[in-house]
Parts: sequence; structure tokens; C-alpha cells
Amino acid sequence: MKPPPAHTFVNQLIALTLLLLVFSGTLGLGAVWVRQGISGTANRSHSLEVKIADIERQLDEVNAEVAAALNPETLLRQNEVMRLGLVSPREIQVQRVSESPELRLMAKGNRDVFNVASATAGSRNDPFSFRVVNASLR
Amino acid sequence: MSKGFANNRLTLLAIGVLACFVTVGVRLVFLHVLDREDLLRFVDKARRQIVVEHARRGTILDAHGNLLATSRSEITVAVDPWALDEYLESDTNEARRTRKRTEEVAKRSQLASLLGVTLAEVQKAFTPGMRSIKAESDTRDGKVDGQTKDRWVKLREAVDEPTFDKIAALNIRGLTFERAYRRVYPSGSLAAQVIGYVNKEGVPVTGAEHHFDLYLKGQDGWIESEKDGARRELAQFRSREVPVQDGNDVVLSIDAVVQHIIEDELKTVAAKYSPHFATIIASDPMTGAILGMANYPSYDLNNYSKAPLDAQRNYAVTDMIEPGSTFKIVAIGAALNEGLVTPLSRFDCGITTIDYKGHTLKLPKEDEPFGELSVADIVAHSSNRGAAQLAMLMGEQRFYEYARLYGFGQPTGFGLGGEIRGQLAAPERWDGLTITRMPMGHSVAATPLQIHMAMSAVANGGVLLRPQIIKEIKDANGVVIRTFGPEKRGTVLRSSTAAQLAQLLTGVVREGTAKGFDIPGFEVAGKTGTTQKLVDGKYVTNRHVSSFVGFFPASRPEVVLSVIVDDAHMPNGGVAYGRAVAAPAFHHIAEQLIQYLEIKPVMPATPNVLAMQGGVR
Repeated sequence: MKPPPAHTFVNQLIALTLLLLVFSGTLGLGAVWVRQGISGTANRSHSLEVKIADIERQLDEVNAEVAAALNPETLLRQNEVMRLGLVSPREIQVQRVSESPELRLMAKGNRDVFNVASATAGSRNDPFSFRVVNASLR
Repeated sequence: MSKGFANNRLTLLAIGVLACFVTVGVRLVFLHVLDREDLLRFVDKARRQIVVEHARRGTILDAHGNLLATSRSEITVAVDPWALDEYLESDTNEARRTRKRTEEVAKRSQLASLLGVTLAEVQKAFTPGMRSIKAESDTRDGKVDGQTKDRWVKLREAVDEPTFDKIAALNIRGLTFERAYRRVYPSGSLAAQVIGYVNKEGVPVTGAEHHFDLYLKGQDGWIESEKDGARRELAQFRSREVPVQDGNDVVLSIDAVVQHIIEDELKTVAAKYSPHFATIIASDPMTGAILGMANYPSYDLNNYSKAPLDAQRNYAVTDMIEPGSTFKIVAIGAALNEGLVTPLSRFDCGITTIDYKGHTLKLPKEDEPFGELSVADIVAHSSNRGAAQLAMLMGEQRFYEYARLYGFGQPTGFGLGGEIRGQLAAPERWDGLTITRMPMGHSVAATPLQIHMAMSAVANGGVLLRPQIIKEIKDANGVVIRTFGPEKRGTVLRSSTAAQLAQLLTGVVREGTAKGFDIPGFEVAGKTGTTQKLVDGKYVTNRHVSSFVGFFPASRPEVVLSVIVDDAHMPNGGVAYGRAVAAPAFHHIAEQLIQYLEIKPVMPATPNVLAMQGGVR
């Protein structure tokens, strides 16, 4: 069998080299593409982190302002400035309810709903009175 | 074209390609092997950076979640005066360069008004200058002359976030900033000595800030990465990252409203009597949780640097006083507990001397002349001689042991603010008269908190508790990671004795030394105290410590309250009795606390009520 001519080997070498170049180029481009993707994602997540930190900072700011506004001293001052006249109740003003508040409210509601009223009718000589139980519209 | 020429051409091409590869390879060997160290050093210096992320300090909250201390970011605004010139140098168009410079300069007046400084100050900051550095480290600009460009000229500190946002929107070239957290106290002076503060260097100095620093401080994180030419982080080159751990939140047992009520009252007392110091403590007798602890003088936590050191002391734990008559609960409680007396046992309180262990001892003076008094009367009228006789019944050693059981002479375990242990000498060191003087609260010294906790033990059925200032710890996400429950230190009295003593103490406001300060339906139990002050080793008659320590309602106590006023100056020059100075403050606070804490009155034990409760009391 005759050995292949020299130029065939050179051609194969060149073809292989080109193939290698294309392959390594593809790998290189792929690596660049992946790295670009990574850096894009990293930068996006970094900017999100910065945004979250900013929002947390603003939240702290607002919380501190709310706390300062809700401070009892500030509220009392506001009460004076706005002339609200709010005062804490005194014991003498407090009506303690010993029974069940639900039952008490229900009884009160029933009294309002089933309003008992009386009326007089008939002639002056023959008056008759009667009691009506009417449902209040309230 | 011959075959040989084509082959030669291809060979040349192959050789050329290979030569290129070899060249690149050689260069790579140089870069990665031979010059590796130098290049790495250069890259490290130019691009590598370690960014420390500071942990956010946890907040301090009251029992209902109101913010007492929090961190707020503040910005230091500075200028790199060289930045504009260097930026403009790269532009070759003269007209454009002038326009850009004019635009930049025009922004400075807005910057000045936002920062609240003069335009001249801003212009001066933007003027490029040099600063001196050590000649040996002068390698920055190629010249070794001990001078380098000054690239950090501070314009203003403590700029708030909203202002900084406006400044950033101006987009001024060369403007740099540093962000730092500063501690702020939204409630100002509220519970100042309890909360404490963090100083400008970020060091927690006093109070809860100092004591709970381990929970509050968190752990700094850091990121190792690279930066670009504009010193911005290249996030894709992060090589190592230790995440930051924000500090935990500390929830105190303090109730901001209770604290405000007692501080308000303290201000009234201070305005009226100009005392040396005064302290008011409110706590839950069943848990030992401190609901409020206020001191006069006090200070604004946001301006701590202007506060004198005296105002920063938590007098409730750092100073001791002779407890005076409030100490009588020791002798009376002990005698009842030992079964030596009953509330009806009677003692002659008119005598001036008494025989004790073969010696005749002189009994202390009384504020008013008494004859024979029952134990209940001794409590109500605060008889010094009665208390002395009760202590004598027990003897020195037993009485001393009871005083220790009440917590005197030892720290309460409060933890905050340098607590002292007070003074309670052992009987071996007593002189002959101590057994007659100590029961009335002389020859013994205690902190206001010790006196408060002793009364708390009477209120809760005879158990001495550790005062609790901390309720729970929450992590940065608000999840509770640790809670703090009641801590028992010891048993002082049997519960029946404590209840009996509590009932006797109601006599003080009903008919005794604080008559008229009862709150109908709420069974106020308490004890007044008036002690002459020791000045240069002698008791003086014109300076007193006035106190009222008590709780309510006596049969189911919900609040223990102590009002202690040191060296009150009476408007008419009279004696600053506990009933005159402290009892009214106690009464006023109690009225407000009843409403705020929704404390229900004690129902009279009528047959109807007993039937309603199923016959069980």
C-alpha cells in the first residue's frame, strides 16, 4: 500500500488546525457569552441589593418618624395645639359593668327595637287607652 | 499554479498560524508564570477591594412594640476637588469644556442651600489643593515631594436621607459621600437612664444599649471583589462574601405610657420641691417586670453630650439611701411570719427605754406620742418604738436574716447601670443600739430598687423576685428567639403572712401616716418613709429622704409603685415628710395607672358576690 502523499497530511493538519481554531473560538465566545451573562446577572442582583438596602433605610427613617410622632409627649403637645381637649378618664367617670356586656347590650338593643308606647283613643266620655308595641325604625 | 507552490503556501500558512500560537503562548507564559507575582500585585492594588458591610444595630422597643431606640442612616458629604478638572482634561473641545464647567459650577449654589452652608464654603471645597503626606509613602503621583492631591474635602456631616436624595439628583461631578448609621431615640428623654446611649464612636456607653450590646450589635459582613476605574464594584468578580448579620431587637418590659405617666409626675415633684434627686419605679409584682423607672434629674438621649454626668445616673440602682420607715415591713413581716405576734398583739409605744439582754436600751423618738398600740396600729402609724420591740422579739441574728431575705445588702440582679449592693452590716458589727434603730430603717442603706423589690415581695405573696427589665429578644425578621420569665430569688414570707401584712399596710392610707391617699375600691397598701439625711456623719433635721412605697389592690396586687424623693425643699421650710412629698405623687400616679392598665376595683365580699363566683373566694 502506498503511503499518503505529503500534501494530504498538510491539508489534514491545516483542516484540523482550522477546526481547532473554530472550536476554541466557539469555546472562547461561549465563555465570553456566559461571563457576560454572569456579570449581567451579578450586576442586576447587586443593584437589587442596593435597592433593598435603600428601601430598608427609608423604612427605618419612616419608623423613626412614626415613633417620634407617637411619643406620649408629642401626642400631648398635639392635643394642646389642636385644642382637642382629650383627657384620660377619672375613676368617677367610669361605670363598671359587672354582668356580661353582651347580654347588657342585647337588652338595651331590645328595648330600643321593641319600643313600648301608650296611646289614648275614643271619645271624651268613653275613653279607652291601650298599649302598643311598635318596632322602632332606629 | 504548481502543486509544490500550493503545498509551500499551505506550509507557510500553517507555520504562520503556529508561530502566532507560539507567540501567544510565550506571552501567556510571561504573563502567567514569569511576571505573575508583579502583575497580581498590581491587579490587587488597582482592582481588588474588600468592602465591609456594617451590621445594622437592633432596635430597643417597649413592651408594646413602641420604638425607644433605633438606627438612622446619615451621610457625610465630601468633595473630590480634582475630579472636575480631570474629567474636563479629556475633552478637547474648548467650547464644550467651558459649557460643562459652567453647568457644574451653577449646581453649587443649589448644593449650598441644600446643605445649609454658604456658597463660599462650597466653592472653597471645590478648589483643587494638595495635602502633605509622608515622603516615604509618596508614590501616588510619580513625584516624591511629600505632597499629594487632596481628594477628600468634607462639606457636611449628618445629612439626612431625603436631603441627600435631592443632592444626588443634582449629579455633581466629584461629589462623594459616606453613609453611616447613627443612633436616634424617638422618645427623647423617656426612660433615658434605662435605655442609655451609643456615643459618636458607636460605643454603647450606658443602660440597655450597653448591657444588651451582645444582642443588639449584630455582626459585620464583608465582600471581597474587584472595582472598576470609577471605583464601582464589579459584582461578577466577587470572590468571597461573608453575609452581614443585623443585630437583634431587644424588647424591654417598660411600658412607654406608664413611663411617661411617672416621668410627668416626677417633673411635677421636681418643679415643686427641687430635690437633689428623685426616682419613681413601677413594676408588676407577680413577674418582677419593671413597667417604668424614672429619675430626676434626667436628660435627652439625642443630646447626651450636653447632659451632666449626674443626670445620666440611674439613681434607682446607683445610689443608696436609708430606707426609713419603709424598712419596717422587715420587722413586722418577720414577727408575723415567725408567729411571735398577731395583728392584734399590743405593745407599749410610750416607753422611752427597754431592757434587752441585760441592758437598758434607749428607744428611738416618735413623731407623735403613742401609748399602747397593736401591731396593726404600729404599721398604720409607723411607730419606731413598736418596730424596735418587734425586732427585739426576734433577736439580732433572726432579724438580720430576714433583712437579707428581703434582699437588702445584696444586688437585685437588675443588671443595668452599675447597681450597688447597699449596706447591711452583720450583727457582729452592730453596736448596742442598732437593734432599736435598724427596724426603723436607720443603720442600713439600700437602693430605691431594693426597697421596691422588698415591697413587691409582700405584694406577691412573699416571693422575692429579680427585677426584669428585658421581656424578649427578636431577630431581625421579628421572630422571638428568647423570652425572659420571672426569676425567683427566694422566699421571704409565707403567702398567708404576706397577705396579712398587705392588709395591715392598707391601714396606712386608711387611717395612718398617709391618711387621705386611699383610692376607694382599689385597696391601696403602702408605707411612708421619712428619713433624716446623714451629713458629715450626723443626722440633720432639715434634710430628709421622703418616700412612699406601696401597691394596689392589696388583695390582688397588680402594680407596685415606689416614689422616693431625696432632699426635697418644702415651700414653707417644713419637714419633707413622705406623706407630704411622696404620697400625693403616688396617689396621682395610681389614679392614672388604674385607668391605663384597666385595673378593676376590688368587689366587696358580699354574699351575692360570693354566690356569683360559685361560692369560691
